[in-house]
Amino acid sequence: MRAAADHREKSMPELPELNPVIHGKLRLALLSLLAGVEEAEFTWLRALTGSTDGNLGAQLLKLEEAGYVAVQKKFVHRKPQTTYRMTDEGRIALTDYVRALKQLLGASINA
Amino acid sequence: MPEEITSQDLKERLALIETMIAEGRKQTQSWGWTFLLWGIAYYVAIAWASWGSSISLIGSHQLAWPVTMIAAVILTIAIGSRKRGHPATTKVGHAIGSVWMALGISLLLVLPALSISQRIDAHTFVAVVAAFLGCANGTSGFILRWKVQIASAAVWWIASVAACFGTDAQLMAVFLAAIFLCQILFGIYAMSLDARRRRPQGEVHA
Repeated sequence: MRAAADHREKSMPELPELNPVIHGKLRLALLSLLAGVEEAEFTWLRALTGSTDGNLGAQLLKLEEAGYVAVQKKFVHRKPQTTYRMTDEGRIALTDYVRALKQLLGASINA
Repeated sequence: MPEEITSQDLKERLALIETMIAEGRKQTQSWGWTFLLWGIAYYVAIAWASWGSSISLIGSHQLAWPVTMIAAVILTIAIGSRKRGHPATTKVGHAIGSVWMALGISLLLVLPALSISQRIDAHTFVAVVAAFLGCANGTSGFILRWKVQIASAAVWWIASVAACFGTDAQLMAVFLAAIFLCQILFGIYAMSLDARRRRPQGEVHA
């Protein structure tokens, strides 16, 4: 019995961990949106995700703290403008996340 | 793993990533108004050059094209800087913008040079302008895979070839028709598409 369990553990490939910073649905959507553009304004991200200012700001701050997005604040026509762009670390993290998702999906199909 | 995840949840997340990346990539800047503005500028220049000499207030018709084109450049820069930039920029957007900027510089350099050296006539002028506009519209249309703009490029290419033949009256008819189709009509169409695209998309919550 014990030997069979050991054998099963050894033969099963190790399942990947999903990055908890990206895993949140809104943070995942934000990072994916930023993957398709060079940079984007806060208002554009808000319009496409349909999120509130507070929630969006909080999730973007988490991504910024993780080093996945870079923020730039400037004034355009005397109005404040905040733009975000994805960093190289963010791109790597998103790629790894997608790879892990696919691996997990493969494992769940094979199970 | 952050929480217990089902395979349905994994699939939804993959779909969300694909949708959002595609949504970001399809963002294009709104430049439909420039087609309309330049179409009107061409008509003003043609009208001034054709009938301006009979109206003393307008002055010499030889100034028609340089003055109108410089005014159009100033207006384009003024309106462009007053309009807030698009909230998301893409590499495709940069590429297309660069093509049009290069077209503007090329035309603003070569046409006055040809005019000053007196090595240009009306047929050559229309052929050169139409070929350049065909090239820029074609490049944008092929990059964006936008059939309407590729069709617009085709009209300019046809006009460019047609300008090498026929009478002055036929040349004018071809040029006016191409401007109407590719600047005025296309500009209005592009502006109406921009307005429709600005509607907000679906919601995603944390």
